Amino acid sequence: MHDDDPPDELSPAERQAFDALPREQAPPPTLEERTVTLLRAHGHLPTPLTAVRRRRWSGPWLVGAAAAGLALFASGVAVGQFLGTRNAVQLLSAGRIVSAAEVANHVERAGSNYVAALTLLAQLQDTTDVASRVKARQAALQVLGAAAEEIVQLAPDDPLAGAVLRGLDQRSQLQRPAPPSRSVMWF
Amino acid sequence: MAEVDRVLADQVLAGDELAFRELYRRHAPRLYQLVLRFVGGIDADAEDIVQDTWLKATERLGGFRWEASFGSWLSAIGLNVARETLRRRGRRQEVDWPEVNEPATKAPPLDRLEPVDLERAIARLPDGYRTVLVLHDVEGYRHEDIAQHLGVSVGTSKSQLFHARRAIRTALGAGRKERTHA
Repeated sequence: MHDDDPPDELSPAERQAFDALPREQAPPPTLEERTVTLLRAHGHLPTPLTAVRRRRWSGPWLVGAAAAGLALFASGVAVGQFLGTRNAVQLLSAGRIVSAAEVANHVERAGSNYVAALTLLAQLQDTTDVASRVKARQAALQVLGAAAEEIVQLAPDDPLAGAVLRGLDQRSQLQRPAPPSRSVMWF
Repeated sequence: MAEVDRVLADQVLAGDELAFRELYRRHAPRLYQLVLRFVGGIDADAEDIVQDTWLKATERLGGFRWEASFGSWLSAIGLNVARETLRRRGRRQEVDWPEVNEPATKAPPLDRLEPVDLERAIARLPDGYRTVLVLHDVEGYRHEDIAQHLGVSVGTSKSQLFHARRAIRTALGAGRKERTHA
């Protein structure tokens, strides 16, 4: 109720009916994609690299990728059985000499877990725990940056690692608070 | 809530698509319902308006000073986009903002009203009546706020509300009589 209601105030039944009207309604699921596409087209969101890649995929490429994936999975199982719960980092810290192959397997497994976790995050339908999602995304970016720095140590001329570091630098600069604007635009 | 919106908005400004999707999912259901009601329940119009609202909001996000909640700010943009869309499509009817000279006879308040009937009746109102009624009786805006948003006088807002309520009571009262006689 408002103090400034006109003289013909709503009856209790009318007020109840107005209060019972829904305040939220889920828009069609396609609208989110349409909106994201529109924002990309206007340059407010980047065009995802995966979308560009997807267009290049051909049938034979997909068959090959599936075969490679299966081979990777089989070798992962074998290596996993061999190493058990140990990992290369634990072995290193314990003073045991580990082979390059063991380290490579460890990098592969850790990388797969990293990507799998991010895939889960991207597919998560539950939007209630926003803080955890934001935290997960920030952690993922930190790991990405730390990994790129290590790759640069290994291969200083690696263009991809360099590009990742530059991109992350640019991102952190963009996220610094902007100087206060003088114009007040409410809407 | 506001802090989360702000964090997400900062990330959207940095081009983070996931952050945008979070922000969208938090606010789109509220915005969609609001504009759907504004346009009289026409889904296609509501979808276009929601899309344009997010585009405008993203363009202006850097200038938003967080003095109001993000949801209120977004709704205000949605309202403007909805009005502009209705005007552009020639759907606004000439009962928009006239100083109505009809005799101010009251329609008796209804003692029973189903929300579903009310929703239908709101959808059938002329655009001008519907806008004020939705803002005042559904969204809880005060006449001063409505007048400021819509660029009309407080008196016009009150007058539009009076006639909107009367139109709804008349329509629903008549419908009820017809059902009783049938």
